[in-house]
Amino acid sequence: MSAVLVTWRRTLGRARNLYSTALAVGGFLAVAGAIFAFTFADADGGRLPLFAIWALSVSQTLPALAAFLAMDVWSDERHSGRIDMLLTVAVRERDYVLGKFLGVWTMAMAAVLIFAVSSVVFLLAFAPSALAGADSAGLLQALFALAVQGALWCAVSVALSAMCRHAAAAAFASVVLTVALPRGIWAGLMAWSPEGRPAFGEMPLDAFAVDVASGFVPVGVCAVYLLLAAVILFIAAKCVASLRLVGRGAFPLRLSVGFTLLLSLAFAVLASRLALRLDKTLDLSAEGASSAFSARTRSILAESSGDITATCFLSRSDVRFREVGRLLRALKRASEETGGARFEIRFVDPRWDVGAAERLVRRGVATESLVFEKGHRMAALPLADGIGERACAATVRRLTTHPPRRMIYWTVGHGESGFGVYDAFGMSDIARDLAREGYSHAPIDLTAVGQVPDDCALILVAGARDDLSRAELGLLDSYLRGGGRLLVLTSAAHEGGLASLLSAWGIRPLAAQPVVGAKTISGSDVIVSSFADHAVSSSLRGSRIVLERPVAFAPSVAAAGADGADRIDFTPVARVGTSALAVAVERGASAGADLAIRPTRIVAVGDAGFVLNGQLAARANANRDFFLNCVAYLAGTDAPGSGGAEAGVLSSGMDRSARMRHALVSAAVLPGVVFLVMVAVTLRRRHRA
Amino acid sequence: MIEVRNLAFTYRRQPVLRDVSFVVSPGETVSVVGANGAGKTTLLRVLATLAVPDSGTVMIDGQDALSRPLRYRRQLGYLPERVALYEDMKVRDYLQYRATLKGEPAKRVRRRISEAVEMCRIGDLMRTSIHWLSAGLRKRVALADALLLRPRVLLLDDFLAGLDHDMRMAAGEILSNAASFSSVIVTGHELWDFAKWTSRFLVLRDGVIAAKVETAGLEPSVLRERVEDAMSGGAR
Repeated sequence: MSAVLVTWRRTLGRARNLYSTALAVGGFLAVAGAIFAFTFADADGGRLPLFAIWALSVSQTLPALAAFLAMDVWSDERHSGRIDMLLTVAVRERDYVLGKFLGVWTMAMAAVLIFAVSSVVFLLAFAPSALAGADSAGLLQALFALAVQGALWCAVSVALSAMCRHAAAAAFASVVLTVALPRGIWAGLMAWSPEGRPAFGEMPLDAFAVDVASGFVPVGVCAVYLLLAAVILFIAAKCVASLRLVGRGAFPLRLSVGFTLLLSLAFAVLASRLALRLDKTLDLSAEGASSAFSARTRSILAESSGDITATCFLSRSDVRFREVGRLLRALKRASEETGGARFEIRFVDPRWDVGAAERLVRRGVATESLVFEKGHRMAALPLADGIGERACAATVRRLTTHPPRRMIYWTVGHGESGFGVYDAFGMSDIARDLAREGYSHAPIDLTAVGQVPDDCALILVAGARDDLSRAELGLLDSYLRGGGRLLVLTSAAHEGGLASLLSAWGIRPLAAQPVVGAKTISGSDVIVSSFADHAVSSSLRGSRIVLERPVAFAPSVAAAGADGADRIDFTPVARVGTSALAVAVERGASAGADLAIRPTRIVAVGDAGFVLNGQLAARANANRDFFLNCVAYLAGTDAPGSGGAEAGVLSSGMDRSARMRHALVSAAVLPGVVFLVMVAVTLRRRHRA
Repeated sequence: MIEVRNLAFTYRRQPVLRDVSFVVSPGETVSVVGANGAGKTTLLRVLATLAVPDSGTVMIDGQDALSRPLRYRRQLGYLPERVALYEDMKVRDYLQYRATLKGEPAKRVRRRISEAVEMCRIGDLMRTSIHWLSAGLRKRVALADALLLRPRVLLLDDFLAGLDHDMRMAAGEILSNAASFSSVIVTGHELWDFAKWTSRFLVLRDGVIAAKVETAGLEPSVLRERVEDAMSGGAR
């Protein structure tokens, strides 16, 4: 048996008999569990893949675990004097170092595996929807990233243990070097230049974990991690060997060792720079990323044809670079799978690719944009507006088809939310989505116009606080009688005087009726996940919308009384229990196509603010899709296929209580159980001895 | 045969060993004695490759041992002055670990262990955890470790310290057995005991070999007197 293997077994065997191992593993599981639980909750609604969040949580804790597992592998040998017994055996120091390193690394990886298995089990119990939507290969990729990072942390910790006589000093030095120093420098940079984050890029250690877990493996960075680990182990072996360099006669040897260490450090720096310069990213994201696109996006891509060039005009060090790169690659793969257009992806860094950057600028493209080109047509998406699957899909559709522009008029003068307002209470986000979908929008003051313009696709009354005048109601009513379309967002406090109009069209708001049996996150909101089989809502199955203190609706007498062409179809499109929180009515649809009657359509949603900027940004929900579906239904431009929640968006489906339980189990129960089991095993072994 | 020539060692500008030369033949046991700080332990640490001499050579069968340390260590058994073992292991596991670490093939490990255990009389300790052993018993376990692979050079530092009366009596037998395959160098202060087993005394004083006293043909009391006289530099 080789000395490496013997030392590896001995390191593992000794660790099993130490209470400090149980403490280190228990502490690691507790901290990583807490970070994961809270990061997972915060990332709800974000685009970070589930296992990238998981890898990020472990990545931040792994250096400390390595430090505590490795703190005494050499320092204890030195402190106790056993080092003499080791150094007089015919074994090379590098074999000892390698064996001890492998022992520490094995223990660290075992702890990571325990955490991985427990995380999956807990997700199955608390957030099965998040796990179902995750790419299962992501876990293996995350483990690979942690194994590579763990190798470096374990090497550093073993080396510092070889340099220190006391375990505590070794652990302290390791934690300072692998946790406090890099993260402290990063925090310092951020504090020094808070606006400079895009220029600095992501925290490199975190970025590596996220990238690999997302399926993008930077080979050069992996090589740097392993190279640094090897050089540090070499230094550790030299440190151990130098323990015998006692006496004046060893002076030339000590000089030689010092020179060798300097050379090895210089080699490591140069080789690392070369590896980073030649870095090549392997794309292992497989089918997961593209199949995660919504049916709507896939449908748009399937209908596209020809060659589309997608250019990411952004600095490679920008914090958004990786995310945009992932999105474009996934878009390309989805288009290939659906038989759509052939995508060519280009990355233009304004600092380095000067020629290409100049060409783009001459065409009027600003930096930090995503540019789609098909033939002579071009569309640029500023990254400042936020880039996602929906924006890309809408742009592709705009490039490949010529949808008619439809005009949406939104009423003003009654305290309604405005499309031009950019704060949390405005609707600028959804206005941008409407523009991408090919709609135009303009305010309309019903008191100032004699009639609704002819190009009106629909009228939106978004949370009128003051009652509409009788004249305005009359104008709306006559518009509806002519086959008009109305979208009403109303609230319990302010129904805008629309109750009479809505009642005439079959909708009766129930302002005083509480919603019973609803799931909630904050206590005041209601999670709606029951949707009718209707053009507005059928695509939302499996998703959820969040409404704040919603109003319920019921069919009015008008909905039951009429027949024939005047028959009103009342559909509760979104509901909780028996409470219909969003309804769609249609009159005239059953009259027959030969009569060429344009049916009147009204959609009423019981929350005036469900697509306000603040609500859309708050957490994962399908509010945006629901609104766009309503608009498409009313404007008669039903979106192809189903919308559903935006693909790649993490949705935990957990309410506040589930989040608390998840955090408690991850951060306290599991670590406690593992700690007690390990202590029991150690006690038993000691008792037997 | 181990041959030490003109060995010198300086630690923090203080000369600890100066011009030390001696030869130990196969089957011979040599005692290195001297007052505290005379350089006994340092001499053994240099011979065990735990320190680097300023000058001088250590030859094993005519070959420079220090220039090929890995090969030399394969022929070396070393019992340090301060015995430190793995507290969490049982004696059997410890010896097995050490034999495997020293590169002994698995099929011969058991035989090597049983030989060493028999020589050191620790057969009844095999299942005991080292944590519970006294200092003397630990020294016996460490001695068994040093003898495991039948080394050609056996270095025993302060060998008899901490051993009980019975074990001291048995030490002669252990050394004579070890001498059948080793050149043995022991250090310590137990002149009376050493006089019974060793063929020669090397008396170290201030890092210099002050005297080499052959034990053959001398009465123990005369021998002891000569050695002590050499140790004190003729002041007695």
